[in-house]
Amino acid sequence: MTIHATLSTGRRRFLQWGAAGAGAMALPGLARAQDKPSEIIVRAWGGAWGESLKAGVADPFTAATGIDVRLDFTEDNEIKPKLWAAVDQGRIPPIHVNWDTTTNATISALRGVTVDLSDLPNLEGLLPLAKPTGLDGYPLVNTYAYVYVCAYRPEAFPDGPPQSWTVMLDPKFKGRVALYDDGIGFNPIAVIAGGGTFDDVPDNMEPGYAFYRKLKENQPLLGEDADFTTWFQNGEIDLACTISVNARAARQSGIAVEWTVPAEGCKVDTDGLWVPKGLPENEEYWAKQFVNFALSEQAQAKWCSLLGLPPVYPGLAPPEDLVGDPSYPTTPEDFARLVSVPSPVLVENQPIWFARFSEIFQG
Amino acid sequence: MTDQLSKRVVLWGLVWFSIVTLSLPTVIIIGASFTSGDIIRFPPEGFSLRWYWELWQLSDFTNALLRTLYVAVICTLISLPVGTLAALATVRYRLRFRRSIQVYLLLPFTIPLVVSGLSMMILFGEMRILGQLWPVGLGICIINLPFMIWSVSASVNAIDPDLENAAMNCGAPPVQTFLTVTLPAVMPGVITGGLLSFILAFNEFLVSLFLTDSRTVTLPVQIYNSIRSIITPDLAAVSVLYILIALIAVWLLDRLVGLEIFLRSK
Amino acid sequence: MPLTWRFLDTIEALVAALWPARWRGATGWAFLMPALLLVGVLVIGLGYMLEYSLHELNLATYRLRDEYALTNYATFLNRPVYGTVLWRTVLGSVLVTGITLLLAFPYAYVLVRTRVPWVRKALLVTLFLPFFIGQVVRAYGWLIVLGREGLVNSLLTGLGLPAQDLLFHFPAVIFGLVQYMLPFAILLIVPAITAIPEDMERASESLGAPWPATFRHVVLPMAWPGLIGAGVVVFTLTMTDFAMPEILGGGTTDFFASAIYDSFFQISNPGLGAALSMVLVTLGSLIVAAVFALAGPGTLGIRGART
Repeated sequence: MTIHATLSTGRRRFLQWGAAGAGAMALPGLARAQDKPSEIIVRAWGGAWGESLKAGVADPFTAATGIDVRLDFTEDNEIKPKLWAAVDQGRIPPIHVNWDTTTNATISALRGVTVDLSDLPNLEGLLPLAKPTGLDGYPLVNTYAYVYVCAYRPEAFPDGPPQSWTVMLDPKFKGRVALYDDGIGFNPIAVIAGGGTFDDVPDNMEPGYAFYRKLKENQPLLGEDADFTTWFQNGEIDLACTISVNARAARQSGIAVEWTVPAEGCKVDTDGLWVPKGLPENEEYWAKQFVNFALSEQAQAKWCSLLGLPPVYPGLAPPEDLVGDPSYPTTPEDFARLVSVPSPVLVENQPIWFARFSEIFQG
Repeated sequence: MTDQLSKRVVLWGLVWFSIVTLSLPTVIIIGASFTSGDIIRFPPEGFSLRWYWELWQLSDFTNALLRTLYVAVICTLISLPVGTLAALATVRYRLRFRRSIQVYLLLPFTIPLVVSGLSMMILFGEMRILGQLWPVGLGICIINLPFMIWSVSASVNAIDPDLENAAMNCGAPPVQTFLTVTLPAVMPGVITGGLLSFILAFNEFLVSLFLTDSRTVTLPVQIYNSIRSIITPDLAAVSVLYILIALIAVWLLDRLVGLEIFLRSK
Repeated sequence: MPLTWRFLDTIEALVAALWPARWRGATGWAFLMPALLLVGVLVIGLGYMLEYSLHELNLATYRLRDEYALTNYATFLNRPVYGTVLWRTVLGSVLVTGITLLLAFPYAYVLVRTRVPWVRKALLVTLFLPFFIGQVVRAYGWLIVLGREGLVNSLLTGLGLPAQDLLFHFPAVIFGLVQYMLPFAILLIVPAITAIPEDMERASESLGAPWPATFRHVVLPMAWPGLIGAGVVVFTLTMTDFAMPEILGGGTTDFFASAIYDSFFQISNPGLGAALSMVLVTLGSLIVAAVFALAGPGTLGIRGART
């Protein structure tokens, strides 16, 4: 593509919509809805995450429909205000499908910027996990579950994997423990590790805060996915609470990392897909088709096995290296070892937890 | 003599410290970009051009690079006249409310970039100009405008006002005085400022993040986004490519006008 | 040549017609206007921020409520952590400014005064190259150099010395920021030093003044505007930075801009984020105004009277 062509996309898009608008008067709604856009844009996480979406969903979708899929790696938190502003101002949103954490997606749904997906045929027969909680219909659809595991450097644990999260408080690991910089994935676990029970969440988080205050003495590092990988690679940390996908990707690129689910359990959560309001009708149609496709058996099998995560499509076998792995829950007993907080509770309480978390660690 | 020696030792001691701190990360990144392994490491694992090859093969990459160039040119083209005129105004003319103007012109630096980015996204969104590239150039120009103004005003400070007066007194009309006396005198500042504008625009990612989408994404934004997930050696390769472009630019500048222009006092 | 002259005459006439001599008094403002308008874009943005900051977030719809309220400013005052982080930010900015100027001044001085062309060129190139490595990649380079198993520590342990924790604390943040700000500061000091006649220094030295005295009484006072200008730039840029503190501070020594970022993006509360932004912008502008009032405007200067 020449620079001229690149620069004139805006105008071409405009002409395209103009054509679509003109067509609207001549053709019945359904036929127009199926006018194929040349591409749809899906926001995704990069690295192992994006590669799995490309191989498992995007490429097969392109093969089946002829529509190119462009991945947009804008961070999930940063695309949020961009989408909200676009919908509020009546502009075309910058992406067609958002691959998002269920919590963030729920917030966007509460804000009313998501399209209802209830009429997607592939919703039928999915595990109950696929249905978002506390919301009417399907303003988003969950696509798989994931676990915030305890990732560790085997060299630092010669006696086997850590049995309890309280190992974080061991002075031996001073400055060598990492958490997400907003405490995400660990807040309910901190309550249990701090002597409370799951029933204390969300009304009595004090045991968790007490755990954090003790942990602060041990000077933990706070970061994000990329930081954890980097830190493990450079021998900066021995232990981190991170999503199993990252630990697995790190191991696959030759970094010495293992993971486990300690006695207190690990937080399990879901990610989902949603389509923003305000797209031209035909593009919204194909964006929904993309989501529908991502829920098909073929896509779920490939996408989720590449991620190493349990899909919402029932009865699919885990990838070979994860059979029996505690970070890949399949049976009710597996799920019993994990801690799941309903999205509405998270949406309501996460800002409060975050404020306390930064009060303790930034103070 | 010992006095001169101690001066040399102290000055060069500090300068060497700066040289080392300024160059170390650059050297590391250059070295790491030639690794044949999957992760950034120093010393690199083996030697290969693998990551440069992978970079080259990404069609998105060249497009993003071209868009970045376009944005940087727009930014520089706006910065040059606006910054030069503002600098002349602030230094050569008597203005009221000058303290307030100083603080006002500093707003691009006192406002955090995320806030500038967000508010320009909202404003440009209202104006329906988002999704085009020129507003990105304009936005970057705004957040870096103080650099342009100050580079020029620093050299305006250095020129002698009598020179202009002399020209005027000899009957030179205002535009001619401006073109033949004032402008040449501030040229070093204009060049420094223009170069800085271009370089900064070429590397800007935070404001651009809000003003671009995946069809108009610029290279620094693409790098920033991909860093969020995992840091692979292709990012080191991009940096080296940038450095190469920089070196060529510096060499060209040296050949065309001479690097001394930064240091000319008059 | 005659053609050029005629061309110039036409321009002269055009300008005279469009901008008659009696408007000359306003020429300064006319020159300033484009810059004022461009920065005006940010002022409109601040207007948005002020408006947002006066509304509380409704967690049921994740939109700001219609009613006006000072809740967000109350939140700022009621959470001591904001005060702590703000103090850290200001202190860090002061330190970074001081150290940066201390390093930038000799660099600029040597750059201007050296008589060897290749040294000058090498110094210029060293100055410009870091601009091309973004903050994040650069911080990554520092991890390789200063990390626990990095180059410096391998060197130390190789010499039989204990390894040091060189990263993930406040000093590391200061170091990273100084390295980031150094080229900007040098570029802004260079013109000031260029303007100092070398004869003045030689005169002082030939009178028997030791060089530190010459520096103190001749060079520094004459370079003062440049130092103030560079200092203000470094201070304001540091005060609003968040990437370096986050990466080199290990996530527990964030600056105030991180709190703003988190409010907007992590917890999606634009009201709070806007209130924190107003606080930071106001404080930054007040500090800058105070510096200008006390130390003069430096090379960023707007001169009042010109006689």
